[in-house]
Amino acid sequence: MSDEGEELRRAVADVLRERCTPEALEAAERDGEAPGIWTALAEGGFPTVSVPESAGGSGGSVAQACAVLEAVGAAPAPVPAAETGLLGGRLLAAAGLELPEGPVTTAASPRLAFDGEVLAGSVARVPWARSAAALAVLADAPDGPVVVLVDPAATAVTPGRNLAGEPRDHVVLDGVRPLATAPAPPGAGDALRRRGALSRAALIAGAARAVAGLTVRYTGERVQFGRPVSAFPAVAAHLVRIAEQTELVAMAARAAAASAGEDGEPAGLDVAAAAAVASRAAGEVAAAAHQATGAMGMTREFALGALTRRLWSWRDEWGGGRPWAAELGRALAAGGAEELWPTVSRGLVSPGAAR
Amino acid sequence: MIFAPTALSPHEDALRHDVRRWLADTLPADFRPGLGLGGRHDPGFSRALAGQGWVGMAIPREYGGAGASTVERFVVVEELLAAGAPIAAHWIAERQTAPALLRFGTEEQRRWFLPRIAAGECFFSLGMSEPDAGSDLASVRTTATRTEEGWRVDGTKVWTTNAHLNHFVVVLCRTSAAQDRHAGLSQLIVDLSSPGVTVSPIPLIDGELHVNEVVLDGVVVPDERVLGEVGQGWAQVTAELAHERSGPDRYLSVLGLLRAFVAEHGKDLDEAAAEAFGGIAARLWSIRQLSLSVARALEQGEAPATEAALVKDVGTVFEQEVVETMRDLAAAEIDPEAASLFERLLAECVLNAPSWTLRGGTTEVLRGIAAKALTRGGAR
Ligand SMILES: Cc1cc2nc3c(=O)[nH]c(=O)nc-3n(C[C@H](O)[C@H](O)[C@H](O)COP(=O)(O)OP(=O)(O)OC[C@H]3O[C@@H](n4cnc5c(N)ncnc54)[C@H](O)[C@@H]3O)c2cc1C
Repeated sequence: MSDEGEELRRAVADVLRERCTPEALEAAERDGEAPGIWTALAEGGFPTVSVPESAGGSGGSVAQACAVLEAVGAAPAPVPAAETGLLGGRLLAAAGLELPEGPVTTAASPRLAFDGEVLAGSVARVPWARSAAALAVLADAPDGPVVVLVDPAATAVTPGRNLAGEPRDHVVLDGVRPLATAPAPPGAGDALRRRGALSRAALIAGAARAVAGLTVRYTGERVQFGRPVSAFPAVAAHLVRIAEQTELVAMAARAAAASAGEDGEPAGLDVAAAAAVASRAAGEVAAAAHQATGAMGMTREFALGALTRRLWSWRDEWGGGRPWAAELGRALAAGGAEELWPTVSRGLVSPGAAR
Repeated sequence: MIFAPTALSPHEDALRHDVRRWLADTLPADFRPGLGLGGRHDPGFSRALAGQGWVGMAIPREYGGAGASTVERFVVVEELLAAGAPIAAHWIAERQTAPALLRFGTEEQRRWFLPRIAAGECFFSLGMSEPDAGSDLASVRTTATRTEEGWRVDGTKVWTTNAHLNHFVVVLCRTSAAQDRHAGLSQLIVDLSSPGVTVSPIPLIDGELHVNEVVLDGVVVPDERVLGEVGQGWAQVTAELAHERSGPDRYLSVLGLLRAFVAEHGKDLDEAAAEAFGGIAARLWSIRQLSLSVARALEQGEAPATEAALVKDVGTVFEQEVVETMRDLAAAEIDPEAASLFERLLAECVLNAPSWTLRGGTTEVLRGIAAKALTRGGAR
């Protein structure tokens, strides 16, 4: 499984390497979209990994989707790769709806209502809403929650963005008629929220690894007092810290993704753990990298900023670390003292285990 | 880096449930958990554990062990440490000495020592540190000089954990005054009941007496007690350290404390406490996976020395953070004789936590090792 993940990460990185240049990233920030990068990724079927082929996706597991996202985070690719497949695509597929062509977006939508005809309410912080081909969200209908597919052109979009200049738009849906609707399966909202947090952990893991590589390289080349600054133990300690946090978040994200198995959903507590670890690691990695790279790291020209601004953004999305930590804390406390260790150490067991 | 999520096999999973059940049946109901590898020294427990085949598991069957894999041993050790079981008596013998004997020992030494270690009857201490040799281990001054009977050992070892209770100590000493300070070092197995050995306790800040000064004054050690090759002590010691760094003892010192916290405060956690506790659990969740993946890599014949150093650093720093967080949540003056088990364990943790990032190689030294590997390009 891990080798398969490695292959996928490499394949996506190969597609993105030449395309996610500093100029392309600046253009994406200016334009609020990166159609060239999107098309290249979409041609390989990468954004729809983990959406069943029967629903118009590329098939594959949640772990494979997260492998794609690690590479997307590392590039970094300014496109809704997480939203199209793992998040929105699986939301649609679970309700029996077909995945539309082009980039799909989604977000948590706690205050959206559907009366059977039109929608009422708005959705905040929707990634790339202004350029998405479709918006897939949950709405409350009289007979329970429904999944709705909406044409963003029919909505009122107020642009917003995150610290990395990625669009995070406010979408008003009052009076909008959906393109398609279907009853949501039980727990669809929680499952979406979980996949959202997991997607951020995977993106953070990828970006952190890119930061690690960049920082090791720069501190090995930058000479002060007659030697590379990485030769100073205090700087080397920053490199070690970055490596540790990178491995920790990658392990947390991959283990949580693997808990989904071949075609299931990731386990709640594993995702909560990954989200809490990722949110904290993002800040530590960014801080250590900036300290180690001095003023150069602060420039727009140097590649570090595009990664750290994403780390600082993604760590707060889909709840950020705190509510997930609290959820995990409450669940473990409720389980009682005797169940603490068995739950924390549950880990992965290969199929066939007598449990 | 070779960290990858690792699934336990059904057999490994069943094993941990067996150990869990046995511990629940064996440890008394009012058992006070030890702090991971700081668990108590209890030869009776070690023998009972050995009776289950769970001491020296990785020792091959021909030498009295169970011939178990690295991960099987990991699973058992993890359960023992999580329970805070009294494992101190056999700990070093089983973790450090047995693998060293297997790698470097003579056939005769293996036949004599390994079955006794696996039976929980032969306990070892580590004699590396000296008054003037801490992190800079190659500067040890204890000497072994050739005599007609074998070797004559003179010098002083310090911080020798449980030397007052164990049978043997593996002494790192100088066997020749080589130019290169790493050459000329050797490891000798010294019987702690030999004439010329004086063990005196060094009280630690919590008042406990488990580390010692060991003075070796003309101690006679026969030739057949040289561990490995004369002059190869340095290579042998570094190989041992790399293998044993990333085990579960690096993140489970605090598990008893966490369990007591849930038992006493789990019912009334406010949002901030749930968040702090959950944050700890989240890191424990992931650090454990890292450590397990190193065990799996070792089992597959790889030598993840850098990974092991990273895990030890992350794990021990994590343990210390847990103590601070629990202290915050306890929000009380800490009394080592409090009625609450949580508070008593917290007191023990506060007084012991500083040593977690010292023993087995300090944080600074580990980071030095890891940094060297990273800047050499071992990072990707
Ligand atoms: C509870 C406990 C039990 C122990 N049990 C044993 C035992 O059974 N057998 C045994 O042999 N030893 C034992 N030790 C000793 C332990 O291995 C040493 O404490 C450890 O190797 C560090 O040596 P030191 O304490 O002399 O510190 P020093 O080496 O004097 O270090 C002091 C400070 O300097 C820093 N420093 C030193 N060198 C460097 C460097 N190159 N780069 C950066 N910083 C550096 C250290 O990190 C530390 O912060 C035990 C220690 C403790 C606390």
